[in-house]
Amino acid sequence: MSNSTLQRSAPAPSAPRASSVTVSNLLANYGLLFVFLLIMLVFGLLRPSSFFSATNLNAILVSQSVTAILALAAMVPLATKQFDLSIGYHLGMAQVLIVGLQVTQGLGWPLAAALILLASLVVGFVNGLLVTFFRIDSFIATMGTGTLLYGVTNWYTNGEQIVGMSLPDSFTGLTQIVHGVPLPAVYVAIIAVALWVATERLPVGRNLYVIGANVRAAELTGINVRRHVMGAFVVAGLLSSFAGIVLGSILQTGTPSVGPEYLLPAFAGSLLGATSIKPGRVNVIGTLLSVLVLAFSFSGVQQLGAPFYVQFFFNGAILIVAVGLSVYAAQRRQRAATAAKPGAS
Amino acid sequence: MATDARPAIEIRSLTKRFLSTLALDGVDLTIMPGEIHALVGENGAGKSTLIKILAGLYQPDAGEIFMSGRQVHPNSESVPIAFVHQDLGLVDELSIGENVALVAGFPRSGGLISWNKVWRQAEQIYGAMALDPPDPRAPVGSLSAAGKAILGIVRALSRDARVVVLDEPTASLPGPDALHLFEVLRRLRASGTSILYVSHRLNELFGLVDRVTVLRDGRLVRSCDIGDATPESIIRDMLGRDLELHHQSAASTRAPAPLLEVENLFAGDQGPLSFAVGKGEVVGLVGLRGAGHEAIGRTIFGAHPQTGGTIRLGPDLVPAGLPIGERIRKGIALLAGDRLGESALSGMSLRENLFPNASALAGGSFTPIDGRREAQEASDVLDRFDVRPRNWTALIDWLSGGNQQKVFVGRWLATGARLFIMEEPTAGVDIGAKGVIHRMLRDLAADGAGVLVVSSDFEEVATLCDRALVVGRGMITADLAGPALTLESLLTRSSMAAEPVAQAH
Repeated sequence: MSNSTLQRSAPAPSAPRASSVTVSNLLANYGLLFVFLLIMLVFGLLRPSSFFSATNLNAILVSQSVTAILALAAMVPLATKQFDLSIGYHLGMAQVLIVGLQVTQGLGWPLAAALILLASLVVGFVNGLLVTFFRIDSFIATMGTGTLLYGVTNWYTNGEQIVGMSLPDSFTGLTQIVHGVPLPAVYVAIIAVALWVATERLPVGRNLYVIGANVRAAELTGINVRRHVMGAFVVAGLLSSFAGIVLGSILQTGTPSVGPEYLLPAFAGSLLGATSIKPGRVNVIGTLLSVLVLAFSFSGVQQLGAPFYVQFFFNGAILIVAVGLSVYAAQRRQRAATAAKPGAS
Repeated sequence: MATDARPAIEIRSLTKRFLSTLALDGVDLTIMPGEIHALVGENGAGKSTLIKILAGLYQPDAGEIFMSGRQVHPNSESVPIAFVHQDLGLVDELSIGENVALVAGFPRSGGLISWNKVWRQAEQIYGAMALDPPDPRAPVGSLSAAGKAILGIVRALSRDARVVVLDEPTASLPGPDALHLFEVLRRLRASGTSILYVSHRLNELFGLVDRVTVLRDGRLVRSCDIGDATPESIIRDMLGRDLELHHQSAASTRAPAPLLEVENLFAGDQGPLSFAVGKGEVVGLVGLRGAGHEAIGRTIFGAHPQTGGTIRLGPDLVPAGLPIGERIRKGIALLAGDRLGESALSGMSLRENLFPNASALAGGSFTPIDGRREAQEASDVLDRFDVRPRNWTALIDWLSGGNQQKVFVGRWLATGARLFIMEEPTAGVDIGAKGVIHRMLRDLAADGAGVLVVSSDFEEVATLCDRALVVGRGMITADLAGPALTLESLLTRSSMAAEPVAQAH
């Protein structure tokens, strides 16, 4: 360290390792995109006629839109390192209510949707309150509220499916394919753009990530941690019930058991998304890419004749391998970067 | 006092070299059975190297260690020495009995843990030292600070140790608790246990220890009976006669315009405190580690509850309970001492680490971040403070401690701060970065800001600050400036101020 004054005046020679930094950066940032393109290429070559057919693509986009919205819902509290495990049950409740309020209570769908979103606002607020003011671990608090929501769902339906007879076209039309474009995909796109702007370009998003990185440091830089975490849970609640309304329009029935099975794919999507684009943190584009990778790879495997349960092996393996690879890439990146750093201790 | 002729521990010309520095240079140390022996010296004098060799963590390059006449090699065999580190290593959530059993072992019957025996073991261990045992089922968290320190010692001794090494045991003890601890140490001494006592608080040595050894720069300066020493002579030996560090800044004759004015402030166990920091002034707020002076700076920043008094910044009153965000807007900045725990945004870029609270800069949470301006400002800060790598996309985790610290100071330039509260600004950073950070702080002061350096690093305060306030037992005990501000005066005033009065003996 005694010659550090000398080193300070020397220019930083970073050129020799620059190429290796760039390659590992590219891999770390866009690995998921490469995987996605690879999947499209392989299955496109193996099943050229069916894989790229409009029917198949639209079917995937419609069915995955619900997972995608829920994955984005999970992502917002995850940015602050909080888990919202209630989103699956929340989606289920919204899906039952949007059909039930029309069929049983005879409400128009806009009013029903408004009431559901209002309820979600309250649920998200309660989640945030439990985590910030009562300092209950988010994992536990939202597991509790989620189970309560599941109770509401089953109470409302008495455990029976609500058949959506005579639902108005204006409601079922919400998830139709218009001019070749599946509307659910449009909703996903709008939500994604709004969230992307908020997380990448607005101070509120930066603050959420700062809270996630170090909550104590966030407090000491003057960020109102409670308000931000609270807001994250409210957004998660609103998005999950919106996903439920979309699902209700797709299924046109209200099934009380639907919901929980969406939870893990949603978390898989946002956590897998954290391995790409902005490695190490959940992000909008990564989340969407992961949902697509998981959906298309499963669809391709299915078309090759694999039985339905292969999906679970596939999703589990992808999650572990991708996260493993991203940890490895991060280490490589750090090694490359520190090697390029001259004379630092 | 026991009268075994052979020393409990005898160290002969112990030497340890790290690269180019001699951490220990032929040090001798002898402790008799039933003796409390103080080991003192500045940071870096070699105390911790010596302790780590005794603990078997380092292998000495030369020298011998004898225990009761038998040569021992702590790094390759287990020796009957117990170590009690300052943070004790207790698990607050577990019971006292369990904490004892973590070291002494869990007694079993029929292969299963016998809780009755666990409780009895704890009581017996206390009883063996003629101490009243606390309820062994109670959680450690329910003990007082002294109770915890005693538990730490008792627990260490449960493994038949003849020598106990206490590393700054009173650093975080309030006065009365320290007295309680001393009483226990005297009882241990009476039972023939030898104690190596490391402390920065010189006053507490008198009336407690039997002998004192002073180390400086890895060398033994003096080893004598405590009766032959005075606090002044020990400080002289610790520093070396010739060492007289004056602060480098030009002594300002005129009083600067006041920026921060604190009156009768109470915060935690600190107070009442009254002091001022002027514009363009670098003021040290110093105390021994554990003196609690960190609470003062934190209270001004709003990160610690204020229980009384007033704080003014310029003409404005800063009301108690004002949130941190509002104080930042008024121009107060805090560099937290715990770099990783309270400053670093792990996994985030230097740019994000420089501008963590973007809403404060943009004017609102939903006003878009001006990416180009932010990138430009980030580059400027990195250039100005010579941060390596000079690339704002790098992650903060990749930087050395010194470069990280430059970023965390730079964080406050954009918020328009006028008062910089800097906790241990150069703790654990290399010499080069230390110089840069010192220059940063002097530059800030030259631009009219006030800098309050909260530190236990006396050398830093002596060289960096215009003025130093010495804190002891929650009060300001000295206000040193100009030629009176020297390493020696700081050391004297703070170790004298911190005495928990050991003369009740």
